[in-house]
Amino acid sequence: MTVQAQPSSKMPRFDPVVIAGLVPFLAVLAAWALAPTLSDIPAYKLPPPEKVWSAFTDMTLDGSLPSEIWASLRRLAAGYVLGNLTAIPLGLAIALNRAVAETMTPVLSFFQSIAGIAWVPLAIIWFGVGQGSVLFVIANTIFFSSIYSTVIGVQLIPRVLYRAALCHGASRLDVVTSVVISGALVQILVGLRTSMAYGWRALVAAEMIAGTNGIGYMTLEAVQWYQTEIVILGMILIGILWLALDFLIFRPIEHVTVRRWGLLA
Amino acid sequence: MTAIREPKISIDGVTLVHVNEERRQEHVALENVSLDIGEGEFLCVVGPSGCGKSTLLSAIAGFMKPWTGEIRMNGKAIEGPGADRGVVFQEYALLPWKTVLGNVAIGLKYRRVPKAERERLAREYLAMARLTDAADRFPHELSGGMRQRVAVARTLANTPEIMMMDEPFAAVDAQTRLTLQEELLRVWDEHPITVLFVTHSVEEAVFLADRVAVLTPGPGRLREIVDIGIPREIRQWDSISTDARFLELRDHVMKLVRDPGR
Ligand SMILES: Nc1ncnc2c1ncn2[C@@H]1O[C@H](COP(=O)(O)OP(=O)(O)OP(=O)(O)O)[C@@H](O)[C@H]1O
Ligand SMILES: [Mg+2]
Repeated sequence: MTVQAQPSSKMPRFDPVVIAGLVPFLAVLAAWALAPTLSDIPAYKLPPPEKVWSAFTDMTLDGSLPSEIWASLRRLAAGYVLGNLTAIPLGLAIALNRAVAETMTPVLSFFQSIAGIAWVPLAIIWFGVGQGSVLFVIANTIFFSSIYSTVIGVQLIPRVLYRAALCHGASRLDVVTSVVISGALVQILVGLRTSMAYGWRALVAAEMIAGTNGIGYMTLEAVQWYQTEIVILGMILIGILWLALDFLIFRPIEHVTVRRWGLLA
Repeated sequence: MTAIREPKISIDGVTLVHVNEERRQEHVALENVSLDIGEGEFLCVVGPSGCGKSTLLSAIAGFMKPWTGEIRMNGKAIEGPGADRGVVFQEYALLPWKTVLGNVAIGLKYRRVPKAERERLAREYLAMARLTDAADRFPHELSGGMRQRVAVARTLANTPEIMMMDEPFAAVDAQTRLTLQEELLRVWDEHPITVLFVTHSVEEAVFLADRVAVLTPGPGRLREIVDIGIPREIRQWDSISTDARFLELRDHVMKLVRDPGR
C-alpha cells in the first residue's frame, strides 16, 4: 500500500504559501526599523516601529482603538448590506430583461463615473458631517462596484445551459434559480469581494472628510497633533483589517462554492 | 424493412432561417425539408458542416420557429421548448454547481417529482449509465466520456417522448467513441424511445440508426433517406465492422454525403 500525500488543507501550520506571503512584509518592516540609522529622517516624519507598537497597545488598553475600529466596521457592514442588497437584484434584472437593461444602462453609466468620493460634498450638505454621509458614500460605492459584476456574471453563463434547462422542463423561475443565480455566482462573488475592497477604501476616505469617528477619522485627526505614529498605525490597521475580512469571509465562501465546482482555477 | 410506424415527429415543408437582428441579415439554414420520425425509431441525420443539422434540432426542440412549414409532435404543432423533447448537447451542458446525481435528477426536479423519488430514479439511471460511483462528484471532475453519459442519463431519466442528440460523441477520443456508441444502443434497448441523432460521421450513423437522413450542403435540403436493415443483434463493432451489408450501406451513404448531386 502506498501512502497518499495529505492535502495541504489538513496541515496549515507551516503553509509555505503563507510564509512566502509574509516575506515582503518582513522586508518592509526591517527597512522601516533600519531607516533612522541609515538616513536622517526625523522621528516626527517616520517614527520607529516600536513607537507605533506602543501607540497600538496604549490605544487598545484605553479602549479608544477598539471603539474606532468597531465604528468603521459597523458602518462598512451597513453600507455593504445596503449596497449589495440593491445592486444584486437590480443587476440580475438588468441582465435578464432587455427593457430594464435599455432603461437603466445609460443612467447607471452616468452615475458610475461619479460614484463614491465625488458624492462627499453633496452628502455633507444633505446629511451633515457624520454617520449618514459616510454611509451614503460607501453604499453608493459598493452598489456601483457590485452591479456590473452581477450583470457580467449573468452574461457569461453559456447559453446552452438555458437551453438544457428548458428542454428538461424548467419554468422561467426554475431557470432563474437553477441556472442564473448559481451561474452568475462566480462573478457575484468577485463583485462582493471587490465591492468590499472599494467600500473599505471609500469608507476610510469618507471618514477622513466627513466622519466624526472611525479609523479614517482617527488617522486624519492625528495629523493635527503631529501624532505620526497614529497615522501609520491607522494605515497599517486599514490594511490588516482588509486582509482579515478577505481571509475570514471570502476564502471560505469560495471554497465551498465556485472552487468546488471547478469554476475557478 | 422498417415497419410503418405512427410518426412521432412530422417535419412538414420546413424552411429554417437565422435572423441576425443587429445586421439585419437573414440566413437560410434549411430549405423545404419534409421528414417523419417514427415512434420508437432511431433516426440519424448526417450532412456536411453547416448544412443545418443543429438548426433542425433547435427547431424541433422549440428554440426557433419555422419560417415556412410546420413541425408537429403527435400531430400537434410545436410551440416552444418542453420536457417532452430532451436534448443531449455536444457541450454536455451539465450544471457545474450540481453533482452528477443532482444533474441527472434536475429534470425530475423541474417537474416537481418529490425528492426521495427523484433521487431513487436518478440513481437507477446512473446505474444504467455505469456511473454509480461518480454520483457525488462534480462535472469538472469527470472525463469527457463520463460527462456525456451523465448528459444521456439526465435526458433519459426525464422520460421524454423523443431524445435528440447533437453530435454527442464528437468531443471524445476515437476509442471511447466506439464504446459510447455501443453503450447507447444497449441503453436504448432497455429504454426504447424515439431518437434523433445528429452526426458528422457516416460510420456512426449507419452503426446506430434504423434510418439515415442525408442532407445536402447548406442551405440543407433532404438528399435521401436510407433504410439500415441491419439486425440489432449484430450491432457491435466487433461483428459489424466486417459485415457486408454494413460496408455497403456505409459506402452508399458516404457517396451521398460526398457527392450531393444537383
Ligand atoms: N445563430 C445563428 N445566426 C446566424 N446564422 C447561423 C446561426 N446558427 C447557425 N447559423 C448558420 O446556419 C447554417 C447551419 O448551421 P448549423 O449549426 O445548423 O449547421 P450544422 O449542420 O449543425 O453544422 P455542424 O455540423 O458544423 O455542426 C450555417 O451556415 C450557420 O452559419
Ligand atoms: Mg451542428
